[in-house]
Amino acid sequence: MSEEAESGTMEGKPVVLVEGLHKRFGATHVLKGIDLAVEKSQVVCVIGPSGSGKSTLLRCMAFLDRYDEGRVFIENRLLGYRETDGELTRDSERNIDSVRSVIGMVFQHYNLWPHMTALGNVTEALRVVRKLGRREAEHIGMEMLGKVGLNDKAHDHPARLSGGQQQRTAIARALAIRPHVMFFDEPTSALDPELVGEVLQVMQELASEGMTMVVVTHEMGFAAHVADEVVFMDDGEVVERGSPDDIFKRPRSDRLREFLDTWRSRAI
Amino acid sequence: MDFLGVITSHYNAFLVGAAMTAVVSAVSIALGMILGLWLAFGLISRNRPLRRASAVYRSAWRGTPILVQLLIVFYLLPEIGLDVPPVAAAIIALTMNTAAFQAEIFRGGLLTIPSGQVEAARMLGIRVLRIRVRILIPQMMRLVLPALINETISILKNSSLISVIAVTELMRTSQQVVSVTYRPLETYMIAAVVYLAMNLVLARAGAWFERRHALAAR
Ligand SMILES: Nc1ncnc2c1ncn2[C@@H]1O[C@H](COP(=O)(O)OP(=O)(O)O)[C@@H](O)[C@H]1O
Ligand SMILES: [Mg+2]
Repeated sequence: MSEEAESGTMEGKPVVLVEGLHKRFGATHVLKGIDLAVEKSQVVCVIGPSGSGKSTLLRCMAFLDRYDEGRVFIENRLLGYRETDGELTRDSERNIDSVRSVIGMVFQHYNLWPHMTALGNVTEALRVVRKLGRREAEHIGMEMLGKVGLNDKAHDHPARLSGGQQQRTAIARALAIRPHVMFFDEPTSALDPELVGEVLQVMQELASEGMTMVVVTHEMGFAAHVADEVVFMDDGEVVERGSPDDIFKRPRSDRLREFLDTWRSRAI
Repeated sequence: MDFLGVITSHYNAFLVGAAMTAVVSAVSIALGMILGLWLAFGLISRNRPLRRASAVYRSAWRGTPILVQLLIVFYLLPEIGLDVPPVAAAIIALTMNTAAFQAEIFRGGLLTIPSGQVEAARMLGIRVLRIRVRILIPQMMRLVLPALINETISILKNSSLISVIAVTELMRTSQQVVSVTYRPLETYMIAAVVYLAMNLVLARAGAWFERRHALAAR
């Protein structure tokens, strides 16, 4: 009920809002003024050649990397900085945690904790952040593992799971804290081809349940099928954005055409 | 050679001395582990002054002989108004020494854990201290266990040096036995066997833990 009331006030305001984002690593200018808005229940797919800054964008949107200029708002709250008279100063860890508590993140290399079981991975944050008791946490944990089809693997350590099962565990872990938006950074790029489908299927189910998602991916089929908006990045800039049809069937820029050609020739 | 005579007449003294050696070493290793863990996280901290200070501490305590450290601590404590018994001075010195070595061992172990694990935890709102206690330290401990056993063995042997500040551990006990029996060779060989026995137990325990963890990880 309170959640509905909350989302009522959010009506029309983007869940994630990125304005004029710049990021430099020393002398290399990696993000050159990115703007992005993700509405509630929208799925935005980010595509682009390797090294174009997709991961960096996602990491800055989660403040895993500090951004140098611009703003990232998560549900209307500035992430990572406090703003006074236009000046940005780094926010406290507590506030940063609070703003990003609605973000669930899934990484290319799963980043599971290998000394804990699948269930242990999923329940850890429930225990130490939400301070739930063991039974309650495990109840939610089993529910989340069920959602990704891994009930029977709950007591296995990651080393005993396939890549696809590990990534699904990582998705269950991120879902356990009930995020309002999920960030995926090439969630299937480390997987053997035959294991990609099971992860994409879980993501597609999430999307159809109305989860707000930002997905960096090389899976053009997934982007074409599931995305509401596709963003094409190259060399730290958003070159083109639009519906999957616009991007894949009616590319306007040479850079996007070239990127799609390369991808198609590789796919054959 | 009269091993039996020396042992039977001073059995209790050896036992008490060995117990003192074991206790001083165990306490120093345990306290050194707590200090060493803080130091290790200091060594890999992003905070530059903290990293520098940790590195200076480590270099100072690894780069000077234990005997010198022991004597400095022993004479410094009364200077700064801390009148503690010699055994306390010994534990402080050994703790501060092993902390430097353990920190270096821990640092190596921590660096092998992919940073993505910490990022995943941070994204879930898990705070720094919790990440260390629940995610980093358990994995790191398994990796560094062999090195940690080595360090424990080394401290156990080096604890013989604390005899110079009149702590009656195994080494000083042996000296006292020599002064009444005039049988240095037998006495020191007995001491050697006792040190060796303690260290073999340690090595065995370490091997057992390693096997158990290797099985658990499967
Ligand atoms: N931690 C870092 N330090 C220095 N350069 C980095 C770092 N992370 C990324 N980069 C650089 O930023 C650029 C974009 O990288 P990335 O965001 O990973 O691209 P993508 O995910 O699109 O492949 C690359 O040139 C990469 O070398
Ligand atoms: Mg990337």
